[in-house]
Amino acid sequence: MAQKVIYEIRNASKNYGAVVALDGASLKLHAGEVIGLVGDNGAGKSTLVKVLSGAHSPDGGEIFLEGEEKVWSNPKQALEAGIETLYQDSGLAQHLTVSQNVFLGREKFVKGVFGKLGFLAKKQMEEEAQKDLEAVGIAFPSSNRPVSQLSGGQRQAVAIGRAVSWARKVLILDEPTNHLGARQSAEVLEVIKKAKAKGLGVIFISHTLPHVLAVTDRIVVLRLGQIVRDSPTSEYTADSLIGTITGSYSKEEK
Amino acid sequence: MSNSKQDTAGKLSLLTQVKASFSNQSALLVVTLVVLGVVFQITSQGIFLTTNTLGTVLNDWGSYILLAVAQTFVVITGGIDLSVGATVSLSSVVAGWVLVRGLGLDSTTTGSDATPYVLLAVFVSLMVGLTVGAINAFLINVLRIVPFIATLATMGAMAGLAIIISGGMPLQGPNNWELGIPYNVFGIQLPISTTVLAVIIITVICGLVLHKTKFGLHTFALGSNSFATRAAGISPAKQITKVYMLSGGLAGLAGAYAYIRLGAGSPSNGSGMELYAIAAVVIGGVSLMGGVGRMVGIALGTLVLFTVQSGLLMVKVVTVSPSLKQVIVALLIVAAVAVQTLQKSGRK
Repeated sequence: MAQKVIYEIRNASKNYGAVVALDGASLKLHAGEVIGLVGDNGAGKSTLVKVLSGAHSPDGGEIFLEGEEKVWSNPKQALEAGIETLYQDSGLAQHLTVSQNVFLGREKFVKGVFGKLGFLAKKQMEEEAQKDLEAVGIAFPSSNRPVSQLSGGQRQAVAIGRAVSWARKVLILDEPTNHLGARQSAEVLEVIKKAKAKGLGVIFISHTLPHVLAVTDRIVVLRLGQIVRDSPTSEYTADSLIGTITGSYSKEEK
Repeated sequence: MSNSKQDTAGKLSLLTQVKASFSNQSALLVVTLVVLGVVFQITSQGIFLTTNTLGTVLNDWGSYILLAVAQTFVVITGGIDLSVGATVSLSSVVAGWVLVRGLGLDSTTTGSDATPYVLLAVFVSLMVGLTVGAINAFLINVLRIVPFIATLATMGAMAGLAIIISGGMPLQGPNNWELGIPYNVFGIQLPISTTVLAVIIITVICGLVLHKTKFGLHTFALGSNSFATRAAGISPAKQITKVYMLSGGLAGLAGAYAYIRLGAGSPSNGSGMELYAIAAVVIGGVSLMGGVGRMVGIALGTLVLFTVQSGLLMVKVVTVSPSLKQVIVALLIVAAVAVQTLQKSGRK
């Protein structure tokens, strides 16, 4: 990989009480690279995502963005640094409309005194949200509908569209193909390829291993909070990947 | 087979239609108000629909609407503020204390001479309310106490403080009574006084803030999905602080309203008001689960509540005792929640 390292975490650990969720995990992400992050339930994937996105502070370890050490004390700092995250199943406020969700925390205001007072440019945000989501290339509904009226797949499309349209350096997608049919899943994989082509570093977390094998450059396997394998995707087969995730591969039982 | 299927489908669509017609809370509340007006006009033998009665209803409405507005913001975040009634008592008492004990004034100062002191009372009440709100926010954010318990504690403490400061008696102070008297324009009696007008303006501003500004949007977002709100870079703690301080500030202004209405700061000015504020909010269509509510609904819901309160007093065909009134108001709240549930299942 000729590209520079864009995002790196070294020796991250995180405990929830007596439960060790992350145990010395290290990861290097290059610009224009897609990493697949896989592991069984409870392996620590979501915890690692939350540490990388600034939602949780790690108990130990360091984070570097473009070589500079960072300590995220809240998600806002990571967002402002250009790191965008799609969280599994909890990314949208369902009582808000599509455009309100897309612009949540980054609202645009009307011009003049009223804008200074916090009055929102509703129409402008609706139009821009519509454009941004169209540019991402995922089928989605009208941007002034409340999220609660959308299907699971449409909600996921909005959440992905939001993350992709705002990402400047790093894009973290936790189970983006959840709730999606085959056609929509294919669209998401295309979105990931586009993000890669734009030079973003992408971390793709999924249980759907064919998707991971199809779209990633490198696959990192987590087990019990530790990274047990980090190799180019070409070095895995479907069987060896499952074996590495479950821990049976080294035994070569079959 | 196919016949029975069609029948079921027909019934379903009828049910859906009925539900859909109930799905606009504000329209439903307006219809309710009209129905109540007609019913009370008949049962009061023609004395309900007068400017006088409307003035009384709006004056009562003014006492509670600021608390209902305060509660709206808080409940939309998924919280609750039980301390608003006690804040009314405390803020009116502190205002009275400043004027009576601090400045040595009494109720002989009236008319326009009293206006500067009334404005001082408004300012003091507002400051007291903001302080109570800040204490609530501290308990919720820093000590991580759930809003119900945190505001229950401040409710008790503030009600107690109001009694200690006032000595348990109303503090009669200066007052410009004209502020609370309905306008008479060219011989035409209107139902609105300066205080009611001020409260209407505050309610409209709060409605704009809730529905048109970033602050309002983040209030809805927090109640809808606090994780997503934080993930979007918004600090839930800061938003909670602002919302509870707004709630306290509005309760403080309601305390000033009570002071102007009575010309006194009394420790009983706000007792029990929190329950009516919560009832008004529920009737107005705010979900106690957070994330849902419209200010128009709150204004109308509060109006329905106090139309019932005033109307029941004027019923002549049967005697409505205060205890029976309580039961009827309780039934109204149950009906409002039942309609909400119907609406929810109608939408699915």
